[in-house]
Amino acid sequence: MALFEIFDPKAEPRPIGIDLGTTNSLVAYVANERPVAIADCDLAVLVPSVVTYLSNGDVVVGRRAMGLAAEHPRDTIASVKRFMGRGADDPETRRLGPYEFVAPQPGEPNSVRFRVGEGRVVTPVEVSAEILRVLKAQAEDKLRRVGGAVITVPAYFDDAQRQATKDAARLADLEVLRLLNEPTAAALAYGVEKKQDGVFAVYDLGGGTFDVTILLLEHGVFQVRSTGGDSQLGGDDMDRAIAHELLRSAGFVEARQTAHLVRRVLDQARVAKHQLTDHEGVQVEIPGHGSFELSRARFETLIAPILERTGTACRRALKDAGLQAEELEGVILVGGATRVPAVRRYVAGLFKREPLADIDPDEVVALGAALQADLLAGVGRSDDVLLLDVIPLSLGIEVGGGVVDKVLPRNSAIPCAARATYTTQEDGQTGFEIQVVQGERELSADNRSLAKFTLKGIPPLPAGMARLEVMFQVDADGLLSVHAKELTTGIEQRIAVKPSYGLDDATVERMLLEALDHGESDLKLRRLAEHRVEAHRIVEATKKALAADADLLEAGELAKIEEACARATASAAGTDPSRVRADIEALDAATKAFAGRRMDRAIVLAIQGRRVDAVEKSVEHAKGIEAAHAPETR
Amino acid sequence: MDPFATLGIPRSYEIDLSALEKTHRELSRALHPDRHVGSMASERREALARAIEVNEAWRIVRDPIRRAEALLLLRGVGVGEDREPQAAPEFLMEMLEQREELSRSIAARDPDGVRKLAEAIRARAAEAERELSRGFAKGEASSLLGRLGELRFYRRFLDEVSAAEDERTG
Repeated sequence: MALFEIFDPKAEPRPIGIDLGTTNSLVAYVANERPVAIADCDLAVLVPSVVTYLSNGDVVVGRRAMGLAAEHPRDTIASVKRFMGRGADDPETRRLGPYEFVAPQPGEPNSVRFRVGEGRVVTPVEVSAEILRVLKAQAEDKLRRVGGAVITVPAYFDDAQRQATKDAARLADLEVLRLLNEPTAAALAYGVEKKQDGVFAVYDLGGGTFDVTILLLEHGVFQVRSTGGDSQLGGDDMDRAIAHELLRSAGFVEARQTAHLVRRVLDQARVAKHQLTDHEGVQVEIPGHGSFELSRARFETLIAPILERTGTACRRALKDAGLQAEELEGVILVGGATRVPAVRRYVAGLFKREPLADIDPDEVVALGAALQADLLAGVGRSDDVLLLDVIPLSLGIEVGGGVVDKVLPRNSAIPCAARATYTTQEDGQTGFEIQVVQGERELSADNRSLAKFTLKGIPPLPAGMARLEVMFQVDADGLLSVHAKELTTGIEQRIAVKPSYGLDDATVERMLLEALDHGESDLKLRRLAEHRVEAHRIVEATKKALAADADLLEAGELAKIEEACARATASAAGTDPSRVRADIEALDAATKAFAGRRMDRAIVLAIQGRRVDAVEKSVEHAKGIEAAHAPETR
Repeated sequence: MDPFATLGIPRSYEIDLSALEKTHRELSRALHPDRHVGSMASERREALARAIEVNEAWRIVRDPIRRAEALLLLRGVGVGEDREPQAAPEFLMEMLEQREELSRSIAARDPDGVRKLAEAIRARAAEAERELSRGFAKGEASSLLGRLGELRFYRRFLDEVSAAEDERTG
């Protein structure tokens, strides 16, 4: 892979923000405290999210791939985001499009797979990774060296879709600092720009997904109150609506629609949609089949059902936030599809105010992601900015009769966790099947199944005696992990949850190895470099913590921590990645109790309405504050 | 777990939601993973565990039903529908009638009728919450289970209203 060679080890790594969009993708970074999008050598900022697999093995991404689409409709994947985290039998695969799908063999993961150039088969994760590699190279051209990335995802993406996005980043060799919800990223870009407090709605109609988010901005904290949407609704659907109309007018029946024709008509539909923003009507030419007139009024009739679907999600989000439209401070427009005049009119009517669109709706998400990357990499100036997000869909477990028991309701603040206890249904039952689902419907079959697993080795007991505890945890990326424990015997089983869709860890690792020139040895060098950075970072953080809260140390603790620091520093100078790893873990264990005490202090201070950073600046003042205030917190 | 202690507020049914929001925000500032990217690994984990606990406490305390359950548990009273006493037959009859009326209004596509029914139930839920507040302040416990049970019925009723409204506009 030539792209890795651009990497300049002496340059300072710079964090980036990536908007991996349905139609277009782009990358941004923060320069002189302002986010800017990075252009390619042709000065274009938007990279079309289109990938062509040529029969000679070459992979082409972006504008050039778009140009190849008419000639190679089957080998050119556009709007791949709509297929992320989807099963091979997903309804999305049956919509109007030029692709050939491969059905999974028994035992293979249930993931969408495209058949492209010369019998090659690719998954949406691999296609997305190609786009990410190009964006990374574009950033490296500009910044010499790229640090971690914040990658945005639609707020309404479920766990499988988020996981697929993270897998794509891993495959593209990008360190993911955070998966960030697109509307939250847009709000961050606006908030940093305008510095105005209040409740905002973000209406994000992209190429393939729709999100609405209601959030409160106060003193630099962006707190998401509710979110809603549809992960398969966007500008693409407007194109399809036009394409169906054109095909119907031209008298095509489905059987005669070749991949070439479908690709061409979809492309013309998109062009017509863009033209109708400034024109009352357009002529669309289908070579060999005549010319067709499309008026703006007819277009607006065609897309009315799409707008109605967004309206339903908006009304529900307002209700979930406990707000009326009149209470909003502003409405922010995001996504290229919000350029359509009918969309703006609809949004204005829905929220009873003119929406804001002063930051380019195509760029705003990437700009927000760059700001967040800057904050997370610790180079951001503003300590005050914090994004508090939620889960978009309820998480639950299927219980008897196919009914869902909701364990975490939608709009719960993340990170979060919840426990639920279940029991056996039959005498002597030794296994327990658990199905994890995501969605709002009462019946399991109507929701998305995220994972299925069986807990084995339960002692044979009468029905209802064995007790099983299932724990869900959702991290700040919105990603779920599940653990189960049998409580009667106290035997804990950590279960590797096999995802219902997408790839398991081993597959991603194998694909990564295949992408590297020297496989194993490259990977080992990479690991060593990563562990070294990690060791230095943790030793630095430990020294800072020791300096700030020396009064929290117990007798002998300081010596142990300092020794562990010295070991980690020494092994980081060596060449054995597993030694570095082991010493990092030892340092981790040595600081555990100290870290706990530091967090207790931070909590007391937060409850008192004080700020932690103020304490780090004046250690003297902090001394004894825990003892002085602890009783009041009871 | 005591969600009230986690948030540093008194164990009371009466809460000051806006003050609580501020506390939640300050705790998040101290604990959210984004604030600990450069921290010691042990501290990242400690902060995460506590951030999760704070969010759980916040979820419980904000919700009138979960808040009542938490207070009852802290007073040694078991909660959960299989442990609570059955509602009075008159109440059940009345709820059944209300729900039938709701079904009729939904079937007749009568949004005003649905809204009126929902408003009446919302008023009753607010009254039940006031009763709970008074009861908890007086130190009562198991005698409040009836009110809690009512709140559960009202919530299910209002969920059904929401579903119907989504359906209608969708």
